[in-house]
Amino acid sequence: MHLELIDYLVIALYFLFVIGVGFILRKKIKTGSDFLMSGRSIPLWITSLAFISANLGAQEVLGMAANGAKYGLYTAHFYWMGAIVAMVFLGVFMMPFYYGSRARSVPEYLKLRFDEKTRTFNAFTFAAMTVFSSGISLYALAMLMQVILGWSFDVSVWMAAGVVLVYTFLGGLTSAVYNEVLQFFLIVLGIAPLVFIGLEKIGGWQGIMQNVDNAKMHLWVGMTDASKNPMGVDFIGLVFGLGFVLSFGYWCTDFLVVQRAMISRNIHDARLTPIIAAFPKIFMPLIVILPGIMILAMQNKFPGFDLPKNPDGFPNYNMVLPTMLKQLYPNGILGVGITALIASFMSGMAGNVTAFNTVWTYDIYQTHIRRNASDHHYLNVGKVTTVAGILISIATAYVARGFNSIMDLLQLVFSFVNAPLFATFFLGMFWKRTTGHGAFWGLLAGTAGAAITQGLTVAEGKGGWIANIHEFHSATSQAFNIAWISFLICFSVTLIVSVVTKPRPDKELTGLVYSLTPKEKDRNKVWYKNPFWLGMLALLITLIFNIIFY
Amino acid sequence: MNKFFDLRFVIGTFFLVLGLMLVIYGLAVLGQSHSDVNIICGIIFIIFSAFMIVFSLKKNDKSKELHG
Repeated sequence: MHLELIDYLVIALYFLFVIGVGFILRKKIKTGSDFLMSGRSIPLWITSLAFISANLGAQEVLGMAANGAKYGLYTAHFYWMGAIVAMVFLGVFMMPFYYGSRARSVPEYLKLRFDEKTRTFNAFTFAAMTVFSSGISLYALAMLMQVILGWSFDVSVWMAAGVVLVYTFLGGLTSAVYNEVLQFFLIVLGIAPLVFIGLEKIGGWQGIMQNVDNAKMHLWVGMTDASKNPMGVDFIGLVFGLGFVLSFGYWCTDFLVVQRAMISRNIHDARLTPIIAAFPKIFMPLIVILPGIMILAMQNKFPGFDLPKNPDGFPNYNMVLPTMLKQLYPNGILGVGITALIASFMSGMAGNVTAFNTVWTYDIYQTHIRRNASDHHYLNVGKVTTVAGILISIATAYVARGFNSIMDLLQLVFSFVNAPLFATFFLGMFWKRTTGHGAFWGLLAGTAGAAITQGLTVAEGKGGWIANIHEFHSATSQAFNIAWISFLICFSVTLIVSVVTKPRPDKELTGLVYSLTPKEKDRNKVWYKNPFWLGMLALLITLIFNIIFY
Repeated sequence: MNKFFDLRFVIGTFFLVLGLMLVIYGLAVLGQSHSDVNIICGIIFIIFSAFMIVFSLKKNDKSKELHG
C-alpha cells in the first residue's frame, strides 16, 4: 500500500487533534475525581457514543470484518442477539444499582454488595486483563502498520503509545472519553465510504447474494446442528453461551464499558447511556461486518482481493479491511481509512488504560496500600498509574511479538473471567440471600471450571491439555460452550455456599439488591426519554433484523 | 474560549479541516481515477462539520442567555 503526502497529512491532523483535546482539558482536571471519574459531569450524548467507542477497538473493527468473511452474516449475532439485549438489560435493570450505590467502579460495587475479598479478586483480574488487552491492541496496531505500510514495529509502538499517554495524562478519563467520541465519528465516516464504493462495484446487495455462498447469508438457518452452519455453533452454545452469558458478562459487568455510563450527570442519563448507544450499535454490522462479506463477492469477480495466507495455509482474515482499503480507496480518503484503523486501536488502548487507572487507584491502592490520603495524592497516583499502564502495555506488545499464542491466551482469559462474573452479579443483584462467601467461591469455581472445560475439549487444535473428551466444530463454538458451563458452575456454587452461610441483614442491602430497593416511578412520560420504552424499541428493531435475515 | 471546551466544536473543526483537505486534493488531481471519491467524501465531511459547529454555537448562545 503506497501512501502519499495527503495521507500522511490526514494522519498528522488526527494526532494533532487528539493531543489538542488533552491540552484543552488539562485545566479542567483539578481533583482525583476529575481525573479518574470525570467528576460525573459528562453529557448523555457523549457518554452514549463513548460507551460504544470504548468497545470499538481492534477486535471490533478488524476482528468483525474478519469474522464477516469467515462466518458471513452469522457474525451479526454478536450484535443482534448479544450486544443489544445486554445493553438494554444494563440500562433498565442494572444501572440503577451501579449508579445509585455511588460506587466508583464495578469492583467497588462488589465490595458494597458482598465483601472486600470479592472486590479484590475482581480488581486484580480486571486490572491485569485491561493492561494486557491494551498491550495487545498496541501490538496488533504495530503489526498492521508494519504489514500494510512498512512502518517499523518500534516506531509504531512508541508513536501510538506516546500519543495515548499525552492525552490521557493531560486530561484523564474526560480526555479519553472525548477522544473516543471523535474516534467514533472518524471510524464510521472513514469506513462507511468503503461500504458504498464496494456495493457500487459489486452491483449492490443483489451482487453480494449472487456471489457469496448462500450458507453465509443467514442468521438462523442451520442452527439446529453445529455441522450445518459456517460458524460451527449449536443452538444452545449460541443462545445461552453468546446471547446470554458472554454478552451480558461483557456489556453488564466489564468496567471498561460500564464506566462510560457511570460518569453521567445523573441516574437517568446513566440508564439511558447504554440504551441510546444500542441504536447506533444495531447498525454497526453495516460498517464492520459487511466489508467482510463483500470481500467474498469481490474475490469471485475481481482480481486483487485474495487474502494473504497464514503459515498454516489458511487465509489471514485479519487482512480483510486493509485489503479492501488498498483496493477500493484512492489516496486522500485512504489516509482517512488508515487513520480510522489507527483511531480504533488507540480508542481501545485508551479505554483500557483509563479503566485500569480507576481500578488500580481506588480498588487496589486506596484500599490496600494507602487509605486516607488527600485527594491531591490520589490525583498524582492516577497520573503515575497512567504512565505505568502505558509502559506495561508497551512491554506486553513486545512480549506478544515473541509469542504467537498470547492473543489466543488473552481471549481465553476473558471468557474465563467475564462469564462467571456475570453469574455473581446476576445472583447478587436479584437474590438478597447471596453472600460474600458464596460470591467469592462461586467466582473461583467458575473460573476453574472454565479452565477445566477448555482442558477437556478441543477445537481447531486448541485446548485438550488434560484429555480430549469432546471436539467442537470451531474455536468460537468452544468459547461459547465454555462460557455457559462456567456460568452454571459459578451460579450453582454461589447458590450452595450462600445457602449454608450467613446473609447480610436486609437494611444493609438497600440500593444494592432489586427486591430491597424502592422502585422509582419514571417521571418521564414521554416514551423517547423513558429507558424502558426506548429499550423496547431497540429490541423491536433488532427483532425485525433477525426476521429479515433469518 | 468556552466553545473550545465544547466537543461538538472540536469535532466540527476536525472534520471541516479534513473535508477541505480532501476537496482541495480531489480538485488538484481531478481527472485521475477515483478523484471524485475524495471530493464527494470531502463535501460530506464539510456538511457534517457545519452541523456540529452550528449545534455547538447554538448551545453556547443558549447558555449565555441563561446565565446573562
